[in-house]
Amino acid sequence: MTTIGIPRALLYYQYYPMWKTFFEHLGVEVVTSEPTSRNTLAKGSTRVVADTCLPVKVFVGHVLSLVDKCDYIFIPAIRSLKSRTYNCAKFLGLPDMTRAVVPESPPILEIEIDVNRGKRYLYQSIYGLGRHFNWNPLRVREAATAAMEAFISYRGLMSESRLTPLQAIDDITGIPRREPVEPSIAPTTPSATIAVIGHAYLLYDEHVNYELIHRLEQYGARVLTPEMLTEHEREAAVARLVGRAYWTYEEDVVGAGGHYLQNEVDGVIGIMAFGCGPDSLMMEILRREAGNQQTTAFMCITLEEHTSETGVITRLEAFLDMIHRRKRRRVALCV
Amino acid sequence: METYLGIDVGSVTTKLAVLDEHDELVNHVYLLTQGRPIDMIQEGLRETRKQLPADCDVCGVSTTGSARYLAGVIVGADLVKNEITAHAVAALHYFPDVRTIIEIGGQDSKITIVRDGIVTDFAMNTVCAAGTGSFLDHQALRLDMSIEELSQRALASSAPVRIAGRCTVFAESDMVHKQQMGHRVEDILYGLCQALVRNYLSNVGLGKDIQPPIIFQGGVAFNQSIIRALQEELGMEIIVPPHHEIMGAIGAALLVHEEMATGGSSSQFKGFDQSEVKYRTSSFECKACPNNCEVARLSLNGKALAHWGGRCDMWERVAAIP
Repeated sequence: MTTIGIPRALLYYQYYPMWKTFFEHLGVEVVTSEPTSRNTLAKGSTRVVADTCLPVKVFVGHVLSLVDKCDYIFIPAIRSLKSRTYNCAKFLGLPDMTRAVVPESPPILEIEIDVNRGKRYLYQSIYGLGRHFNWNPLRVREAATAAMEAFISYRGLMSESRLTPLQAIDDITGIPRREPVEPSIAPTTPSATIAVIGHAYLLYDEHVNYELIHRLEQYGARVLTPEMLTEHEREAAVARLVGRAYWTYEEDVVGAGGHYLQNEVDGVIGIMAFGCGPDSLMMEILRREAGNQQTTAFMCITLEEHTSETGVITRLEAFLDMIHRRKRRRVALCV
Repeated sequence: METYLGIDVGSVTTKLAVLDEHDELVNHVYLLTQGRPIDMIQEGLRETRKQLPADCDVCGVSTTGSARYLAGVIVGADLVKNEITAHAVAALHYFPDVRTIIEIGGQDSKITIVRDGIVTDFAMNTVCAAGTGSFLDHQALRLDMSIEELSQRALASSAPVRIAGRCTVFAESDMVHKQQMGHRVEDILYGLCQALVRNYLSNVGLGKDIQPPIIFQGGVAFNQSIIRALQEELGMEIIVPPHHEIMGAIGAALLVHEEMATGGSSSQFKGFDQSEVKYRTSSFECKACPNNCEVARLSLNGKALAHWGGRCDMWERVAAIP
């Protein structure tokens, strides 16, 4: 059976169930790379120029680990998902860049998603990808429809059952869910609800973010993420804060952050990669919004290739202390 | 006398502070860490014991700073607290109406915004140490003078030169260039202090609502030229507390006092004799998964006391088994 490799990086967390359904409907077996390890990152960063951002280095590492394990590798080029929104240059050229830096790779299959060019172009792109495995446009269309359904139910599962992409993918692929984390600190500290927002490839890659969500849970915090919101909630926050979205994934950052700053949580933690252009703008919007509101704490953590997690841990601890002390003061004032 | 011990093990210096039951400072010790945190914690304990009155009873001990977990295991800490919280608590203790806390240490710098006695925002330097004490130390070393001398000579500057402070490497080449042009050393030194302050305010202080009263603490607050540069840049008065260099340790002691008063249990403190125990540290690469974490081990008489550095808690659990 023909196999296609999907790197467990970048857009994997947003679309894996959709891609998997599409290829399986066309009779192709899907293989994924293992979760990121030190090795993945080390291999990836030797191939790219030094100022490439951390998530792309990780992506190249995942492609390298798939080289002998499949017949094709699937890398989409997502240009725009809504009219007049734009994506980071690194996503636009991802298939070409990967071909250039991983010459030993099996053939890279790509699909260009650019809704600015209209529906007809989109359908042609989908058929262009599907025909590698089945020339019949009807079969490709069926696969695409099933994939879209899988995507909608994946999003629904996350927002309705409040699951992270990792939990939802485990549910869909039939892997038993991990045990909930036992808080390792004394339960005397009041619990806090923290929203962690940013791109999925930073939030759910536990190697890259030093298991940030797991650590927050160990500290006794309840963690909410962008995927737990509905499309509507995120879009409403984008509209309120910036009017019209400019970046393709603005809903995950400005949308989710803007929503959580007004609802439900004690604090919002933004996660961005060092040197990320779009994020440096979007996090600034959130920081200003938090400053204007003065109600919900906000902190931005920048991730780089540091091997030590100390910096992240110190910030997390101080952020939670700040929230706990604020809460305690509020309780004291009420009594 | 009831006392509370706070230990702050930073990257450059190790600080110990002892407070009595009224939170008055009884004794403090300030040492250079010199890359040997365990030796310096022990040295600090030895010094503290020597200087403390005989009737002192340690009722609580807390550690902070970048080596807080290591220090916590060695002394038997009742509380291990991050340095951001410790510094804020100490500043609030001495200056209840403080609104901005500037803290510049050896490897890191922080800003903490306080409103009505509660921390509302903070930031810490990110990937670069350009706005910290090590930047000045490095340049002082290059100019073959002590950091104290740098601080004094820079004050004599009348026409400071502009030095790019974005990055230490750039600052150094800029400085060399200015030297070759024939600028006075004093002006170059003060230019360097201004560069550090600009770097701090545009990195760590970016977007923060800096309002007086401003407290400046940490080791770099010894430096008179930096205080002057900060005052000039902000156009506000800077208050340097008398024990600015040990505020982290004082904060840790205050926190453990608070904790023991509410918790009510007795202290885990292993005693001052820990200064004479032979600890060993080692590290190894864990082979349990492809992450190959570098795990550090602290051991005593061939028995592992604690492990750090693993991505999972596998090794930390091993240490918990007695």
